[in-house]
This record gives sequence, C-alpha cells and structure tokens, in this order.
Amino acid sequence: MSESILIIGGGIAGINAALNAADYGCKVYLIDDTASIGGMMARLDKTFPTNDCSICIESPLMYEVDNHTNIEILTNTEVRRVNAQNGTFTARLIKKAKYIDEQKCTGCGKCVEACPVSVPDELDGKIGGMRKLIYMPFPQAVPNVSVIDPRCRYGKMREQGACVGGCVVDCSQCRECPIALCVKACKEEGKDAVVLWQADRPMDIEVDGIIVATGIQSAEPATGLYGYNIYANVVTNTQFERLMNAGGPTAGEIIRPSDGKHAKKIAWIQCAGRGLAKGLPYCSKVCCMVATKQTIITKEHDATVEATVFYNDLKAYGKGFWDFYQKAKENGVTYLKARPYDVFEDPETRNLTVRYENMDTGEIEQQEVELLVLSTGLIPNENNKRLAKVLKIELDDLGFFKEKDPVLAPLETNVEGIYVCGGATGPIDISESVVQASAAAMKAVLH
Amino acid sequence: MDEDIRIGAFICDCGSNIAGIVNVPEVVEYARGLKDVVFADEGKWSCSVDYLATMKELIKEQGINRVVIASCTPRTHEPLFKRTIKEAGLNPYLLEFVSIREQSSWVHRDDPQKATEKAKDLVKMGVAKAALLEKGEEIRLPVNTDCLIIGGGMAGMNAALNIADQGFHAILVEKESRLGGLVKDIAAISYNNETVPADEIVNAKAALIDSHPNITVYTNAEIETVEGYIGNYKVTVKADGSREDLDVSTIIVATGMKEIEPVGQFEYGRDPRVITQLQFEGMLKKWNGECAKGNGKISNSKSQIKNNDVVIINCVNSKNESRGCCAIGCHISVKNALALKARNDGARVHILYRDLSMVREEGSSLEAAKKAGVRFIRFPDDRYPEMREEDGRLSVLVNDLLLGEELTIPADLIVLTTGFKGNDTVDDIKGLLKISANPDGFFQEAHIKLGPLDFPSDGISLCGCARSPKSLKEAMEEGTGAAMRASIPMKQGFLEAEGIVADIDLDLCTSCGLCEKNCPYGAIQWVDEKPQVIKALCKGCGLCAADCPKKAITIIHYSDEQILAQMEAALEERAEEKIIGFVCHWCALGGVDMAGVSRLQYPSNARLIRVMCSARVSIDFIERAFELGAAGVLVAGCEFPTCHYITGNYAAEERIKKARKRLARKGYDPNRLWNIWCSAADGPKFANTMRDMVKKLGL
Repeated sequence: MSESILIIGGGIAGINAALNAADYGCKVYLIDDTASIGGMMARLDKTFPTNDCSICIESPLMYEVDNHTNIEILTNTEVRRVNAQNGTFTARLIKKAKYIDEQKCTGCGKCVEACPVSVPDELDGKIGGMRKLIYMPFPQAVPNVSVIDPRCRYGKMREQGACVGGCVVDCSQCRECPIALCVKACKEEGKDAVVLWQADRPMDIEVDGIIVATGIQSAEPATGLYGYNIYANVVTNTQFERLMNAGGPTAGEIIRPSDGKHAKKIAWIQCAGRGLAKGLPYCSKVCCMVATKQTIITKEHDATVEATVFYNDLKAYGKGFWDFYQKAKENGVTYLKARPYDVFEDPETRNLTVRYENMDTGEIEQQEVELLVLSTGLIPNENNKRLAKVLKIELDDLGFFKEKDPVLAPLETNVEGIYVCGGATGPIDISESVVQASAAAMKAVLH
Repeated sequence: MDEDIRIGAFICDCGSNIAGIVNVPEVVEYARGLKDVVFADEGKWSCSVDYLATMKELIKEQGINRVVIASCTPRTHEPLFKRTIKEAGLNPYLLEFVSIREQSSWVHRDDPQKATEKAKDLVKMGVAKAALLEKGEEIRLPVNTDCLIIGGGMAGMNAALNIADQGFHAILVEKESRLGGLVKDIAAISYNNETVPADEIVNAKAALIDSHPNITVYTNAEIETVEGYIGNYKVTVKADGSREDLDVSTIIVATGMKEIEPVGQFEYGRDPRVITQLQFEGMLKKWNGECAKGNGKISNSKSQIKNNDVVIINCVNSKNESRGCCAIGCHISVKNALALKARNDGARVHILYRDLSMVREEGSSLEAAKKAGVRFIRFPDDRYPEMREEDGRLSVLVNDLLLGEELTIPADLIVLTTGFKGNDTVDDIKGLLKISANPDGFFQEAHIKLGPLDFPSDGISLCGCARSPKSLKEAMEEGTGAAMRASIPMKQGFLEAEGIVADIDLDLCTSCGLCEKNCPYGAIQWVDEKPQVIKALCKGCGLCAADCPKKAITIIHYSDEQILAQMEAALEERAEEKIIGFVCHWCALGGVDMAGVSRLQYPSNARLIRVMCSARVSIDFIERAFELGAAGVLVAGCEFPTCHYITGNYAAEERIKKARKRLARKGYDPNRLWNIWCSAADGPKFANTMRDMVKKLGL
C-alpha cells in the first residue's frame, strides 16, 4: 500500500484523485504547472448536460484540497526527473518562481491595482481579455496569491511601460527594489510579499505512486480555417465559452470581437478542421454537447438569438445528452446536417457568410451570421512528450498517454506504480474524468 | 448555558483593503460597546502567522469563549480561523465569521461612511449570533470493512477484487448461476483493432474472484431485505433457496443492464432471420467455438455461415422521444461486422445508421471495417429502413441520405442494434436501498458530473452499466472507482460529519413524517414511531427545520434563535432602509464574493445572513424580517439545477411562493420579497439585483 503519491496536474481529475487518495489516508503532493489548481473546468461557464455552473461546483473541491491536511499543493511546479527504485519513486520537482512569497501574499490585489501595464490574457486575449503584469490567475484561484509575468522582470515590457523597464540591473541581482510599483504597493500594505529576485526552487520528494492527470487542451485552428485569425468574428468554442461566462472578459455579454455589439445570429461549425491535413484525425466526442450547451445558454441570455449548428455525426452518447440536445431544439436551435466549406466576411458589417452542402437535401446553401464559432476539438497537452520522457512511460500515436492494456488494466501505464486519468488519456468529459480519478487513486494506493 | 459569554471581536484591516475604506478603529470601538463583547482588536493582517499567534494568546489571556472575526470571506478563510481558535483551546464551532471586505469595503468604495456603518451592523449581527453559539462536534459513525457488491458482472467483479485486495471483506451477490454479466454472453471485446474473446476476460476475472480469500460469492442469489445505514446495514440474501443474514458497512450497486427486446419491430420474434446484436454475438460466439474445435482453422467454420447478405440496422429503440443514444451500439455494430467478415470474407455486410457515434479509439475499427468492404449507409432521422419479404426472401428498403436515393438491400439476416435498459432487479433494489432510477431503469447518481459513482446517501456507491450503458473499459474503471469510494470510510474506520446537523426535539414532534420524506440523504430514520437524525448522515442543509410544522427541529450552528438574533441586530436601527438577504454558502455567497473581487459597486442597504442552503430559510424568518420593519428581503440560492444539497433551491423556490401568499394575507407587499438564483461566478447578477431592489423598493 502506498503511503504517499504524486499527482501531476491539478485539474478536475487531479483534484478528485487527490481528495480520494488523501481521504484514504495517503500523503498527496498535487502539482500543477500553472499558478493555480482548477484546470480547464475552472474556466468553463457551464457543464453539460445539466448546465451546472462550472466554478460553483468545482471551487468547493478546490478549497477542500487547499484545507486538506494530507494534501500539499505545489503550483507553478514541473517534474524534472523521476527515478524508480524498488517500487518507489524519487522525483525532482522545480517550483518556478512566481516572484511572490506565497506565505505572505493574501491575494488582496493591491499590487495588481498598482501595476501600470496591461497585456492580453493567455486564455482570453483574443476576445479582449486583459491582465496586468502582476495578476491573479482567476478570481477563485487556489492558492489565492498573485503571480508575476516573468517577462516583466527582464525589461522586455519596457516599451509597454513596465515600471521596472528603465532599470538596467537584472532583477535576480537585487535584494530590494525601489522602482517596482507592485513591490511598493505591497510594502505599503505591510506585507512585502513581492520578491522580484526569487529564483526557481528545486525540491526532491519520495513517493510510492504517481498519477498523471495533465489534462487536455483545446486545439487552435489553423489560420484561415473558416476565416479564423483573419475575420474578427470567428472564434473557437473555448473563446465563446469565456464570452458566456459572467467571470469572463465581457462579464458574460455575448458580444462580437469586431465591434462589441451583441451577436443576434450565431452559428457553430462542428468538427472544424477534422480530417484535414493538419486537422484532428479523430472525434473529440465532447464538442457536440459543448455546442449544444453553448446554444442553450446563448438562448437563455437572449431568446431572440438565432442559433444554428452545422454538424456531421451527432455525438450524444452520455447519460442525459440526448435530452439535452432535444432541449436545444425545443428552444429553437437549428441543427443542420451539413458540410460547411467556405466562409467569407462582409467588410462593412463584418458579418460572415457560411457556404455549405446541406446533407439532407444535397443542395449548396449559404447563411449569413454575426458570429461564427468553431468547435475545434481536443488535443494532447503540449507537455505530454516531455513528461512521458521524464516518467519513462509511453504515448500513443496521437500523443495521449498510453494505457498498458486499456480493457483489462485500464489507467495503468508501462511503468508499475504510474497511473493515468482524465484528459491525459484522451478526449473525455468531466464525469468520466472524475470516475477515472477515483479509479486511478484506488490503483495508486493499492500499489 | 451556565458559563458567562465572553466574546472577542477581531476586526481585520486587510492592509488597506478594508481599512482604506472602512474606519476600522471606529468599528473596533463600536464592537467594544456591544453586549457580551469583552475584547476587541484591530489586526493589520488577521490571517498572518504573527497575528494568528497573537490571537491565540489574546483568547487565552482575555478568557474569550466566543470569537467573531470580521475580515474577508468564510468561503476561503473560515477553516483557518476555526483551526486557530481550536489551537487556542476553544471549540471550533464557537466562531462567527463576518465578511466586511467582500460585503463592504470592496463594494462600497465610494461611500466610506456607509461602508463603515454596514461593517458595524455586520459585526453587531455576528456578535448577536456568537452569543448564542454552542459547541459543535464532528460526529463519527463507526464503519467496518465488509462491503456488499450487488451484481457479479465485470464492474462488480472488479470492485470486489479491489475491495478484497485491501484486506477488506467483499461479498459478491449475483442473480445468475455464473459470474460475468452481459460480457459472458458476447463473443469478443475489441479495442484499437485488437480483439480478445470475451470468455477469456470473464474467466480470468472469475478465477481471481474464486481464489481470493477475502471474497464471498453468492450465485443464484437475490437481496431480500436491507435495513440500516452506512456502517450498519443488515442485509438478507437468499441464495440457492436458503437465507442468510449479513452485516455490512458499505454497498456497491453494479446490477448492469439488458438489451431491450424489439418485439414487433422488423418482424422480430416472428421471423428467425431478424435478431438482436446480442443474439448475433451468440452466433459469432458459437462460430468461434466451432472454429476452435476445427483446430483453429477458419475454413472449418466458414461452412457454418450461410448468411451472405447481412444488414445491421442501428438506433433501433434509440434516439427517439423516450430514449437517447445507446452509447455503444455503433461500435458494437462495426465490431461484429468485422468479426463476420473475418469468418466469411464473401459476406456482404451493410450497416444502416443515423449518426456514427464512434470516438477516438473506435475510429480505427471504423476504418478497418470500410477497408474490409463493410458498407455504411446513412438514413434520415425520421425515415427508418423498412423490411420487405418477397418469395421468402427478405430485403431492406432504405433511404440513403448521402446519395439521396432509395436502395433495396437483400438480407439473409437482419441484425437490430437496440437500446438498453436497467436490469429487472432495478425496481427491487431501488426500494430496498431508497435510491432512485430514471425511466429506463438506470440508477441516478449523486451528481452527474462530480458524483458519478456516489448516491446521495453515504455508504452506497454505483458503477458500470447500472448507471448508464458503457464500454467494458469504462465499466472496469467505474468498478475500481466505486471500490475507492466505498473504501474511504472503511479504511478510516468511521464516517465523519461536520457539526452542522439537525436535532429533533421529540417533545414537540408529532411524528408527521415530513422531515423523513424531505431529507435528500436518508438521514432521518424512524425509530419507535419517532424520527431520529442519524447525525453522521446529516449534511446540515436545514430543509427539514424550515418546513417542520411544529418547529421541533434545530439546526446546530444555524438555529432559528441564532438567525433571528442576527436579523434583530441588523434591523434594530433604521430598519426601513435595510434589506435582509439570506445567501446560501455555496453559490450565492460565491456570487457575492465574486462581486467583491471584481470591485463591483452597489448600494449598501443589504445585511446578509449566511445559511448553508436557501432551503434553510423558513417563511417565519421572512415574515419576521418584515415585522421588524425591513424594507425588503432577498433569498439567494444556487442557480438551477446546481444545489450543493441536490434540490434545496427547488424547495426554497416553492416556499418563497407560499411566503408571498402569506405576506399578502398579513398585509405586507409580497413584492418586497425578492429572490435570485445566482451562480458563484455571477458577481454582476448579485450587484444588479442590489441596484434593482434599492430602486424598486424606493430606497
């Protein structure tokens, strides 16, 4: 039986694996390479097929993890090296500097207010989301502490007006900074938690088992695909999700990137990029329900919005999914079995015309919309390759972690004691991730 | 309570986050003047390690026995302060948390004076409640290590092995004579183009079960009675005609599913050439067997196959008004088409489908089937294929959606891919365990996203096809996952519940039974004709207390007395300007906090009272607020369908309707009672509601 386990990835799968193992009595190290746990689910607006508010149901678990005596959370942390010996593992972790003393920071946000430079947010940048150079990952972040964009420190943001831009000394050389406004604001609060000279910190731990829960990411469409990156009002389903979210960059207003006007005609193109040379060769299975959710919520925001989904094969495979699809249709959403092949923009209105083959009639038709959403599918986490090498476990031909025997020994890898769950295994929804997390935790504690 | 109440109030500056707007020294001074307050202090950063140490000393030094902390939000910081006062020797439930940052300084920045007034009121309300706080205790219910698994299919067997491998006792009850469930009746399992005979899989698992010293198996068995709750179930099993009583601590439901018989459809049942996928599996399995007898030479088995034209029709009894996608039919049809082609290369196989619901790994078998010459024809959702018979030969008439043509396909064999439903035992199990299932007989999990393997009642877990149709891989994962869920309390040796629980005063109780009926957790059980709260099962939502006609139920830490005291404190002065807001801890308070974090500015009229669930708010509370002169009342709960307590907000909604009627009867304007369902992400919604209320109420 394992006494301690390392869980790599703090999304909903990692969180659930951690809570299960920790409640069981195991010491758990839960690490994430971003500044907060929560993963993809923390950024979603709603979850299908019930339209539960995503952060409402996830944040209590995040706080539970935070307060669990058996769980140590390490954010901004990567695994560098792992050695297996007699069924136990020695892992070298690197805690990348947040340039913040996490013990002292209370997440009060005074530093954020003081920072003079706003830059496009990683997640929401394309739809107008901005953040400061010192920022909170998101409002419910755990741990609830600020983080500094490393670019700030080396004067790379000089032209954008960074307050330390004029300084010629490398921040790591100082132990005090008279220039940085965040440092000053924090000192005024009596905290002194901003540490611009902080260095990455190595850390060695010994564990009996490892669970890989590194999740999945949304595929970025190729520039030009249905006008993406060329026409302003073509967005991905992830970006649209953020537009719907009251906690997102538009406070939940579904507005067009081009002019900030509410979109009244919206279309979704399913399987965007699938089967193309650079597209995904597989079905990501959740996008049909994601689109269905997005149409329902859009109609809840404004019932007069016309919503059309261009789809190919409808995946309504899970419990309650079919009823959810029916609900969308009852609410007036149009589902068209169609193959869209071209999109062009009216330069004046910035509206988009979608040309498609209607598979029911065989006719070529077209439709003009004000906002176009590309359902782009899910791809392996970009760090999978590196991590697979570190852990000496295999990836499948698509880049997801390979299970030794998916049917007879699911979630087990080619290294005994290392297990995988959630999006790390492939496209998956939240409930399936939660199931796998419990199962992987069971296997890890039994190891 | 005999001891003197000695309240210590700790008001936090949060650097300048609070102190920059709220005049904290004034609030501290004000707190000192409140009844029962023996000590009040201002802390620059109350959550800092230094101040927490100071706080502990002060608690001891000043003989403080109740603590009010006025700072950020209980959603993030209550556990920290609970731990702190515990370390100072106090019971952790003797803490009242007041939120003056999210509810005042961050949201009333433009009016420091009003922000200060509101902070004082909030502290006063906290002090009023603190004076009535009672010690709480974490309640522990002992849990032993015997687990009953109902259903000996692949999920159930997997669960049993995982339970037993920990040294716990697994009791596996199977209604049939053999273990293996649905999988034992099928030919092969395929994954990523690899095919394994199903018998091999079943036999290997069953052998592990048979040889495991910690597993007891009952076959030909059924569960007759179940009584009790986690840690304490008494179960009667009838196996091979004899009865046995078992004491178990946890239960895993793994009762599986069955194929729906398409009686009357496509002449099924009348014409032997029309069969279901499961019957087709049986045929393939037989051929496999004969093939094995023929020294593994496929040529020997080929002679057995006379069916050269096979038509597979998908989505029979699926994706219609009453039932959704069967989840696995597409993959099964492709798998079996490939199996047939492997035996009889000359067979012409057509798969008629609506949508091909094949996911990542299944895509490769689709490619293989196309390569092997299996033909796929897509038919429209509203035009199912029709069967024809001419001169004793069957054919299928189908509208090919992609070609836009009607096709007639000859058929020696028609295979119907039909939907699934829960097993026949579902109704009995439902009644015995007091759990629910959907119309198709699939059990209802605690939460479709985050509690897929749990039931609302602690101690019972769910896995496999008893929850919904799924692949073998997923069923195996669920079996292991359910074993984990059941093992946690068995490993700990107890189930622990928070101290916020219901308590029934049996002197007042008239045994009407409403509380038992309403409790979503089965935490109220009937003992000697009286209700009894099984405290470890109670989640403290307060639904029972709010509806109890005799007011016989107290929710510890959220009692009527305490909530009324908060309300009275809030409305003591200038009630006519104030709004009493009841906010649930999980979502609505999250929305309030989000408004704070986002620095949304709104009027300062509301005085919020935290409850665990909106279902805790009784009509009496609402009426009392108006009696005390409140300008308005707001009840804020989770946005539907989310509720931390399953359906508390639905109950609250019903009650609010009744409350409006009662208010009208009593001469209050029912429009002064507002309610919102607010997600934890929706700061704007809460802020807008505040603005709207103030406007509509003319404040």
